[in-house]
Amino acid sequence: MHSKLETKKPKLLWLQGLTCNGNTHSFLNLNSLDTLLEQFEILYFPAFATDYTYEDILTCKLSCDVLIFEGTYDSTLQRGGILLADVLQHYAKSAKYIIGAGTCASFGGMFAEMNPQNKSGLLFKKGEWVTTFEMYKEKIINLSGCPMHPEWMAYTLQMILHHKTILLDELYRPQELYGYLSHHGCTRNEYFEWKVDAKNFGTKEGCLFYEQGCRGPMTHASCNKILWNEVSSKTRIGTPCLGCTESDFPRTHFFTTKTNMSIPQDIPFDVPKRSYLTMVGIAKTFHIKRLEGKLIDYKTTH
Amino acid sequence: MITKQLIEHIEGEASVYFDMDGKKVDFATVVFPHFRGMESFLEKKNALDALVITPRVCGICGHAHLMATVRALEDAYKNGGYEVIPTQKANTIREFTLVMEMIQNHFKWLYMVIMPELSKLIDKPFTQKPLKGAYASSLASKAIALFGGQWPHSSYMIVGGVTCDPTYMEILQATSFVEELVKFFEKECLGVSLENFLAFESCKDFQGVESDIATLEATLIDLDMQKKGFAHDRFLVLGTHNFSSIGKLKGTRTFHVDPKFVTTIQAYTPHEKTYAYNALYKDEYYETGSLARMISSNESIVKNMHRRYKDSAYSRVMARIFELALLLQHGRSILNTLDVTQDSVVKVEDIHNITAKGIGVVEAPRGPLVHEISLKNGLIESYKIITPTQFNIGSSTREKPTPVQKAMQGISKDEAEFIFRTFDVCSVCTTH
Repeated sequence: MHSKLETKKPKLLWLQGLTCNGNTHSFLNLNSLDTLLEQFEILYFPAFATDYTYEDILTCKLSCDVLIFEGTYDSTLQRGGILLADVLQHYAKSAKYIIGAGTCASFGGMFAEMNPQNKSGLLFKKGEWVTTFEMYKEKIINLSGCPMHPEWMAYTLQMILHHKTILLDELYRPQELYGYLSHHGCTRNEYFEWKVDAKNFGTKEGCLFYEQGCRGPMTHASCNKILWNEVSSKTRIGTPCLGCTESDFPRTHFFTTKTNMSIPQDIPFDVPKRSYLTMVGIAKTFHIKRLEGKLIDYKTTH
Repeated sequence: MITKQLIEHIEGEASVYFDMDGKKVDFATVVFPHFRGMESFLEKKNALDALVITPRVCGICGHAHLMATVRALEDAYKNGGYEVIPTQKANTIREFTLVMEMIQNHFKWLYMVIMPELSKLIDKPFTQKPLKGAYASSLASKAIALFGGQWPHSSYMIVGGVTCDPTYMEILQATSFVEELVKFFEKECLGVSLENFLAFESCKDFQGVESDIATLEATLIDLDMQKKGFAHDRFLVLGTHNFSSIGKLKGTRTFHVDPKFVTTIQAYTPHEKTYAYNALYKDEYYETGSLARMISSNESIVKNMHRRYKDSAYSRVMARIFELALLLQHGRSILNTLDVTQDSVVKVEDIHNITAKGIGVVEAPRGPLVHEISLKNGLIESYKIITPTQFNIGSSTREKPTPVQKAMQGISKDEAEFIFRTFDVCSVCTTH
């Protein structure tokens, strides 16, 4: 009886291309990992053994309901002595959903930068469409991010379990996760509003957009809504957003903002440049003492 | 007869070619088949971009890569005439998050790799609890994220310090996560208090204790793992930290070390192409990692264990568990020393004015991680990464075996597969 119930669980298979395993380890941070995994029959997971070995998976005699793919797709790559392309094609056929875990699987990412000719994400190479898995596009969901947030994967798997429709953006990412910008919820928002720059790294104060390379206002991600490891985010601890959920990741000069006439060259997403410049001009004329000082004065208060 | 075995769940895969003499392994070679080309990707980039790129070499020890990069950059600053001296606060935060990453790694290795693999060798396999490892690791990751923003793949260490400027709120939250982790370790893993464990005279003190670790220890003895898996009895610790003591050890004799004597050569794999290079110190192979660090730091329980059981598989596994306890204690104590009034970052020269070479060495979970950088006007001319698995899991000839090759000789293939994993192998780091 028990096993009959268990066989009804959707079968989940986690495969990898060229990867650092970062999405696997990110996923392992999930608080509700046990509860979530109990609802699936796990055919293969990269971090620990399940009922099947990798060699069992490579025989391509099994089928899965949810296929998670992590890493850059490389059409020439063999894993376990078998061409990854063949293995992926086999499981993609039976899968009802295919999830690209991370920016490499979504857009090619960092590992598609070297010898890029055979490398891409499942549907995109940077922002450009690729055709390899085009026939499966109806079942592909991209969870970009380097790495992807574990809660984003949990959301997607739960939506699948609950038979809910996942609304996607044009890059096949769930809108409920990527409709936000990583800027939303940043604790430095007031400094952004009044155009107060962080003059240096290592401070609680100031916005990192003007000098420190922060991509928060143009990066689709919910990092400051659904916090990392449930406690923080890059911008909250003074690291600029690196734009790692976007198709152009990795960019270069991560810690510097490219400026023209001391105005950031790339301005907040979808904001008309002229309006933005006018607003910056006005805001820069204000002097708000509170925002120019320290949030906490450890040196003189006790 | 040559038998090929695919080894999985080692942060990727490796193939081991066993040359069998009857039922015993006569010799084995190791192939790492995947390659990403991270070093050449770094060339011509702004040097600070390495702080974002190198953590992505590895999902499980990316923080160690970040620290190796920041140390290499700061060394280049020094060699270029602009010495950088981060504050004690910045150094302490860096060390704390590095220690937490190591703890995260050790818990996963213990519950996701060692216990399941050991269980395969016995008649009545014990129940597997890989998610216990994940839970403990997630607590360590939370403690990192309070300072690093996230784990994995944080880039919060920068030249001159750290990007974060924590309040006591974050420090106390981190303390709570460490305390929770200690409680979990005591109750769910050890079966005795951390304090008692650290006061053990030998692992015989586990007698009468019922716990995951006590079962693991007893099983290792049942399987004679104290008589198997011997490598060269030579150890290497290169990363300078408050929790390690650098040195080269031959048996119990310690010698001075300098990372400049680390070299790499193409691995020897006659049956299949590999992308791996072996790492050597003054042309000799050394074991690295927890056992090396514990012996080098003169930890008495591990020294006693080593005196009795040498560098056996038993010593290798138990040294890691002991290190886990020490790291928890160390992590807890250094948080107490943080002074929030110090600066997080000191002012440094513009990177474009730096033309110099630098070397950054840290102890990663598996041993020394070496990053060598060459800068010209702030751009990377060359970048070389040497990882701990290259020391432990090299593939060489019969005449000059690497630690893992020696450790796998003369035992059954199944035992050899387990012993392979006692080194804690990282495939993605090896062929970055």
